[in-house]
Amino acid sequence: MDHFPTNWGRPRNDAWDPYATYPIHQRPNNAPKDAFADGVQRTQQPIVTGTSVLAIKFKDGVMMAADNLASYGSLARFRDIQRLHPVGNHTVLGAGGDMSDFQYLQMILDELMVDEFAAADGHALGPAEIHNYLSEVMYARRSKMNPLWNSLLVGGFKDGKSFLSYVDLLGTTYSASTLATGYGAYIAQPLLRRAVEGREHELTADQARKILEDSMRVLFYRDARSLDQYQLATITKDGVEITESRKLETTWDFAEGIRGYGAQTQ
Amino acid sequence: MAQQRQFNPYSNNGGTILAIAGSTFSVIAGDTRQTEGYNIQTRYAPKVFRLTDKAVLATNGFAADGNQFVKKVRQRLEWYRHAHSKEMPIRAIARLIQTMLYGRRFFPYYVYNILGGIEEDGSGAVYSFDPVGSYERETCRAAGAAQSLVQPFLDNQIYFKNQTPPPGQSFPAHLPLPTVLELVIDSFTSATERHIEVGDGLEMYIVLARDSGLQGLDGFQGVTEMGATPEGEKLFVLRRNLKRD
Amino acid sequence: MTSIGTGYDLSASTYSPDGRIFQVEYAGKAVENSGTAIGLKVKDGIVLAVEKLVHSKLLVPGANRRIQTIDRHIGLAAAGLPADGRTVANRARDEAANLRETYRSPPTLKDLVDRLGHFVQMYTLYSSVRPFGTSTILGAVDKTGPSLYVIEPSGVFYGYHGAAVGKGRQLAKTELEKLKLSELTAREAVIEAARIIYLVHEDAKEKEFELEMSWISPESGGLHVAVPQELVDEAETKAKEELASGLE
Repeated sequence: MDHFPTNWGRPRNDAWDPYATYPIHQRPNNAPKDAFADGVQRTQQPIVTGTSVLAIKFKDGVMMAADNLASYGSLARFRDIQRLHPVGNHTVLGAGGDMSDFQYLQMILDELMVDEFAAADGHALGPAEIHNYLSEVMYARRSKMNPLWNSLLVGGFKDGKSFLSYVDLLGTTYSASTLATGYGAYIAQPLLRRAVEGREHELTADQARKILEDSMRVLFYRDARSLDQYQLATITKDGVEITESRKLETTWDFAEGIRGYGAQTQ
Repeated sequence: MAQQRQFNPYSNNGGTILAIAGSTFSVIAGDTRQTEGYNIQTRYAPKVFRLTDKAVLATNGFAADGNQFVKKVRQRLEWYRHAHSKEMPIRAIARLIQTMLYGRRFFPYYVYNILGGIEEDGSGAVYSFDPVGSYERETCRAAGAAQSLVQPFLDNQIYFKNQTPPPGQSFPAHLPLPTVLELVIDSFTSATERHIEVGDGLEMYIVLARDSGLQGLDGFQGVTEMGATPEGEKLFVLRRNLKRD
Repeated sequence: MTSIGTGYDLSASTYSPDGRIFQVEYAGKAVENSGTAIGLKVKDGIVLAVEKLVHSKLLVPGANRRIQTIDRHIGLAAAGLPADGRTVANRARDEAANLRETYRSPPTLKDLVDRLGHFVQMYTLYSSVRPFGTSTILGAVDKTGPSLYVIEPSGVFYGYHGAAVGKGRQLAKTELEKLKLSELTAREAVIEAARIIYLVHEDAKEKEFELEMSWISPESGGLHVAVPQELVDEAETKAKEELASGLE
């Protein structure tokens, strides 16, 4: 029995069944076939991936951090890639997940920003608009079963207001004063919440920087797909600033006395 | 061919929603926690949405689908306003929602909807839906993660199931607003205690029928008026904190 | 034009016996009746200026812009039929976006006008279409430095140091030739551009006009934007003063 109602009552296929010898329920599948279906590739899994992105709100705006590693499975493949991307003068996009999908997003956003600039109508897209645009793109792609395999944070500051929101490959969105993607959602998010919740309007830039740096350090100690080189983005009324790569200070003294961790051979 | 892992376009974002109709009011409530697995994604993501000043929609299930669905419903209501210069009546909204949900029968919105508000005849209404559009008008309905905890409680307290009235008396068909609000608050505090995906905040929308007064709503702290129809229906929101653990 | 009325001017797809395409020449006439537009290519940037004739007092100030942005670093000033100008500008945006997508870098103006020239020329080949009644000045600062081109209704395009199209082009060109364009800064060029527009407007003084100016300069960060209002005000004041003193 053909259990697909879409096949029921279809005309028979002369190529397969020239004399209608098959009873209806045994007929070969006559549904129209896309000759190129086998050639269409869809993202079924991420390939070159970035790990966590962290972001918090503070007194003057939003701060975001991501390391510089793009992994190929367990191989630390690219160790100098940027996962924080400025979009216009008020917004930063941070990405975990597939890096080629992220680069594609950078391209369509750049196209969008050129179009908006060319309109020269006195309006500029802010973080809220860019986040909404991204959520529509991500949701549309998941609905085509062809997702862009990313977890994204959108942070920004415009018209005196901070903005921080998340969107992922399913089109799921949410906002909060602290956000973390990937492994960071498990390891860094509790630390960020303890340090930030209820103090969003008191934290200075220096304090915010320290909170993120400490969290990035914890992630480097525990997340095997992370790196001790990372960048920080700060978005305030003065615009977007993304630092050069910086290195985390780490200590490994504790390993000295532990068997199997240090240089002991026996 | 090698077995391929298929992309799963759905997720479940927890939380619970609930609506109760009175004879001249309707209460539509939901918690504000959004989860995925054991993670709390955010403590404030609204699941209850004002559609008109006399119709409120609560969504529960896959949040991305829920938000997209609400966006589409609002778009259809706006077109209706442009075409007819009035708000769509709630029973029409209910049928619209069923049509929109069934339109995606073979790639459903993974969302349980509950619609509450005031009918054209002035009575309080609750409509509940399954993800592909089956719907019915009811007096009360809970949906979502803690449905199995809340619905039996409501059956007992609203429909008086498993209770016997004192001899010569009968149970009321509809309860007064303050009683209903207390039941809603109790439902969510209890669900918060026993279900990990429920908590953080509670948002209750209250629609009052025209010429029905405040019905005791003035006895509650922190009520905000959200709007009113030209005919006199009033819309309020009442927020409460829930435990965050 | 001796061949007028002989039937060779009815279609862009027919040559006259002496090898001319009258429809293209008529398109040129549409440009000659329009308010003047000029472009200056200077040491560190580009300045575009337009004498936008305001045909009704009822129009909102700033309406019907004739200078448009094509890409971050490319601007376009149109003379002729405004609607045709917008069509060319829209096509320019599409072509610029396509070049960007293909080469993943900001397109050079040379590549862009090459494609636009082809586009405009296509409308000189068929009897079913009408050539564009617009001459467009395109200016950019790209990786090759500042550059300035004019595309004519025939589809032909030339690069210029200074360009002028529209009603007052002759006088404007004379004035442009007097300038040492390669030694001016964009800021200085704004003053000159305003002066030239005010000067050429003398011949059509009965009509109101708005001065529209844009630039691409170090001060604008290499972006094509409207000249800041304070600089426009300064340039307009100077232009009016000079005009007044010259008329005495």
